[in-house]
Amino acid sequence: MNLPIQIENLTKTYKLPRGRKKTAVDSLSIEVPEGVIFGFLGPNGAGKTTTIKIILDFLKPTSGNVRVFGRLTTDPLTRRLVGYLPEQPYFHKFLKPIELLSMHAALAGLSSREARRAAEAALDMTGIADYAETPIAKLSKGLTQRVGIAQALVGNPKLLILDEPTSGLDPIGRRHTRNLLIRLRDEGRTVFLSSHLLGEVENLCDVVAVLRAGKLVAYGTPDDVRSSNTQFKIQTVRVDNHILNRLRFLEVNIECGADSTVMRVDPQNAYELLRAMEKLGLPLIKIETERESLEEAFLRLAA
Amino acid sequence: MSLLENSRKQVFHVLCLLMLAVIAGSTLISIFTEGVQLKIIKDLCMTCVLFTGAVLSIALGATGVPNDVENRTLYPIIARPVARWQYVAGKFLGTFLTVTLGVSALSAVFGGLIYHYQGSFDWFLPAATIFALLEAAVVAAVATTLSTFASPVIAASVSFMVYLCGTIKIGFFGGMLDLATNSTVKLVGGIVYHFLPNLECFNLKAALVHGDSVPTAYLAQVAIYGLCYTVFVIWLGAVIFKHREV
Repeated sequence: MNLPIQIENLTKTYKLPRGRKKTAVDSLSIEVPEGVIFGFLGPNGAGKTTTIKIILDFLKPTSGNVRVFGRLTTDPLTRRLVGYLPEQPYFHKFLKPIELLSMHAALAGLSSREARRAAEAALDMTGIADYAETPIAKLSKGLTQRVGIAQALVGNPKLLILDEPTSGLDPIGRRHTRNLLIRLRDEGRTVFLSSHLLGEVENLCDVVAVLRAGKLVAYGTPDDVRSSNTQFKIQTVRVDNHILNRLRFLEVNIECGADSTVMRVDPQNAYELLRAMEKLGLPLIKIETERESLEEAFLRLAA
Repeated sequence: MSLLENSRKQVFHVLCLLMLAVIAGSTLISIFTEGVQLKIIKDLCMTCVLFTGAVLSIALGATGVPNDVENRTLYPIIARPVARWQYVAGKFLGTFLTVTLGVSALSAVFGGLIYHYQGSFDWFLPAATIFALLEAAVVAAVATTLSTFASPVIAASVSFMVYLCGTIKIGFFGGMLDLATNSTVKLVGGIVYHFLPNLECFNLKAALVHGDSVPTAYLAQVAIYGLCYTVFVIWLGAVIFKHREV
């Protein structure tokens, strides 16, 4: 089966001055399944944008290979199947969104009439049809970002590669984009997105991959990537430092709020902590189990 | 797209307006040149047309690709099913069409002046303009190709050097090469000499000014040379850009 993206043993090394080298992507192998929203995560400099640029043939790999729907990325026709939103997209400011999208639809191989129709449909989908005739120079950052998303949608691509799609969007725009991506996934398209907004990725993505220093450190569903370990979250009243110090004999993570104290502890230490609290006369306000969030997993894996 | 972009650039408007002013000014200068008025007007105006073509070709050609890379407007375009050679060819065509726009406007005013002073239209003017455009195409191709790997300043400077050397190629460099005695100088000079475009052949100013006839066979030969040189240089640019990482 031809997967939307198949990366095998990809390495990209940049030559630096004075004979030095920097490996941006190191023996990376990833398979992106069809019809999913795929989150591509990693801290700055992890190699995400380099990987995306290799997928789109902007950069040549040092070794390894990348296939899009089983086709070589060096073949321009492969990109007929792909829609791309660059990070912080820049467009010719004198163009109107409808003109820009019509041009991109034409570049995607549509006739001029079809291109105009596709442009209008993309503007509708991204909720910016009212701005179709406004020059891009006059649009806000959020609206320009939406024009970028609309641009990626024209030509009916089967694979969307979106670099920080919700960057610069207000909460309404963000929700609209989230719903749009879900809709596109439900239509059977594959969305490959790189994002720093981990809460969003956790709710949106079916599969995630985490990169650190060019290497793949985690791959799977957000559930797979998060640690299966649970912790107890125990809430009590606000307490003084000298009482807190008496609780530190256990491996407790303590957060002091304005009117309460929250302690996180591993299950094997929870009983000991509750006993200590009882001895100190600290009331138990709330106790609940808590699982690692994707953000915490990201910090654990990528930091 | 490139045409729309280029025609909004300040250099296009400023240069075209400046050259229109010079063309208008040529009528004043000609007042003091009783008897050869028309020749002076034709000489000055044709110089303006050639100069505008070359300068616009360099200014627009040398900045096209680097500006797209710097402004990141390149990425959404080459993420489409567009081959790199198509992008380079598109950039060249955009530059050339903008130059054609400017040069045609100047040439139209020039034609009007000739009609005013001569009482009839000079049918050699369109031919001279077409060959000026061919020269511009060669220069634009060189500038566009250089811009696929060099910064705008370097691309513009080298293009300008090529333009200058190309306009004095036969008369100056040819003579110098004949005088050279060192075999290495002769060999390297010979390679550079043959790679440089011969831009003198596109300049039909003398024939226009003096009303000389130019053999059709020669014109056809020059036109084929210009087209072949342009296509070759753009092909070179496309090959370079194909291997460039952006």
